[in-house]
Amino acid sequence: MMRAEAAMPIGRARFTELSLLVWVATFAITGFVAVLATETASFSPTAVVVPAVFLLLMLALHVFLVAIRFRGDQILMPLAAGLTAIGLILVQRLASDLLLQQLSWSIIAAGAFAATILVPRDLTALARFKWTWAILGLLLLMAPLLPVIGREVNGARIWVKIGPGSIEPWEAVKILLVIFFAAYLEEYREILSHSQRRIGPFPVPPVPYLVPIVAMWGIAMLVMVFEKDMGATVLFFGIFLAMLFLATGEAFYAIIGVGLLILGGLVAYQVFGHVQVRVDTWLRPFDEDLRFNQGFQLVQGLYALANGGLLGAGLGNGMPDRIPVVWSDFVFDAFAEEAGLAGALALLALYLVFLYRGMQIALRAPTPFLQLLAAGLSFIVALQTLVIVGGNLRLIPLTGITLPFVAYGGSSLVTNWMLVGILMRVSQVSSRMRGGGPW
Amino acid sequence: MEITFAVLLWAVRIAFLVLLYLFLIRVFTSLQRSLATESVVSARPTGLAHLVVQRTVRGAPRVGDRLPLRAVNALGRDAGNDIVINDEAASAKHALVEFAEGEWWVEDAGSTNGTIVNGEVVRSRERLHYGDELAIGRVALRLEQ
Repeated sequence: MMRAEAAMPIGRARFTELSLLVWVATFAITGFVAVLATETASFSPTAVVVPAVFLLLMLALHVFLVAIRFRGDQILMPLAAGLTAIGLILVQRLASDLLLQQLSWSIIAAGAFAATILVPRDLTALARFKWTWAILGLLLLMAPLLPVIGREVNGARIWVKIGPGSIEPWEAVKILLVIFFAAYLEEYREILSHSQRRIGPFPVPPVPYLVPIVAMWGIAMLVMVFEKDMGATVLFFGIFLAMLFLATGEAFYAIIGVGLLILGGLVAYQVFGHVQVRVDTWLRPFDEDLRFNQGFQLVQGLYALANGGLLGAGLGNGMPDRIPVVWSDFVFDAFAEEAGLAGALALLALYLVFLYRGMQIALRAPTPFLQLLAAGLSFIVALQTLVIVGGNLRLIPLTGITLPFVAYGGSSLVTNWMLVGILMRVSQVSSRMRGGGPW
Repeated sequence: MEITFAVLLWAVRIAFLVLLYLFLIRVFTSLQRSLATESVVSARPTGLAHLVVQRTVRGAPRVGDRLPLRAVNALGRDAGNDIVINDEAASAKHALVEFAEGEWWVEDAGSTNGTIVNGEVVRSRERLHYGDELAIGRVALRLEQ
């Protein structure tokens, strides 16, 4: 560490982060100018106001990280900033009356990020309170089912009304659940992965040690089924399986899990009307009884994709407003229409890089808990992207889950920025231990 | 006039895509560079954590000073220790603070007056958490990141 400091007089300067933020600034401003110029048919300097506020906010975060001599990842923050900027451009384009709200949420998100970087003195200590996180997570998960504060929006009862606004508690629950899984699996992964008994090629899992974790997951599933939110159910199941596999290295768990998922899907299809509708519109959205009914949103989305072509209709120039509730469920289609396949691929590449960086951080982390934590958190973002983009593209049934950082929504933005904060904290621990140059 | 506006607008729209890709390329190169600059071997990394002086008898380091820790740290009165505690109540080789398997551990090195963590005498090798207070002789140190 001494040598690194001697070579670099400024010590904790974060040049990579700053230069990446400059690139974010260029495309954020260009995007806003394109959208507003199309709308008003003239170029006006007011177009830069919103992106300028947002970019100043990001610059403030950068200065904050430099000021506290933060040592660790320099790529995730600009990545999240870039995705959030794309989100703001799309809110301006698709639902400009919500823009100020989304901008205020991004300020809150930045505050939450700074708090995550600053507050927990010892990240490993999070593991010691794992049952607290589990119980807190379950309470939050059940909150929307309560009579007075719970809210049902578009058929899913996942909202809690607080003051003037409402929040989606499960967004926070996903982080709490990952912390719990990471802590629990760190403690028992030896037992879970080195099973003594085997039946043929299949290891017999040590059932008692699986009970708490399966119970946690089961309760989460049950609550989500009552709240009629398929997206979150799939997400929780996916995180659970991925972390179990990462911790134990037993493909057996993954195979059983996928089997359970298929079984659960078949049962849900028979039992729940809303699941049936989703699957039917996925399989045959163009059928006469669905085309202008439940399938309308999906079909309009597909037309938008087709309209986009290779380079897109140009920001502000498409017709994404023909998709119902496009700003929350179908932002990907809207972006793909206006920025084309080229823009859509770039967007997906940004998520891919996010996952790659997250996994790098996980690989470098010094303790199993931190490794599982980083891997689980980056996996949330990846899986969420897969589920919603797959749904938008009619690859899998559509589920109402947010496109991380981009889709309109405050709870999602705040928790995703906190997630970035935790990932960066993990990278900080590793870089401190490894010494060497700035990360 | 009309045409120039339309052309300009198209230029801005294409510029957005181009800049988005340039950002992506910059992210890729930064990723590669971050891997390239990371040292594979580092000799005796310090600053894994710190011991912050809570109580001392005299002289420097004073209360509040941060002593950087290595992976293995010998503590005692002898000058050969990593952290020298020049107090009559400390033994020449007093205690060992060690980082292993991602955790901090403390071990008494056969001292006369014992090593005390949070008011309790260390019997064997014990886990040391961040925030724990380690007392050696009349000196108290707290483990911090």
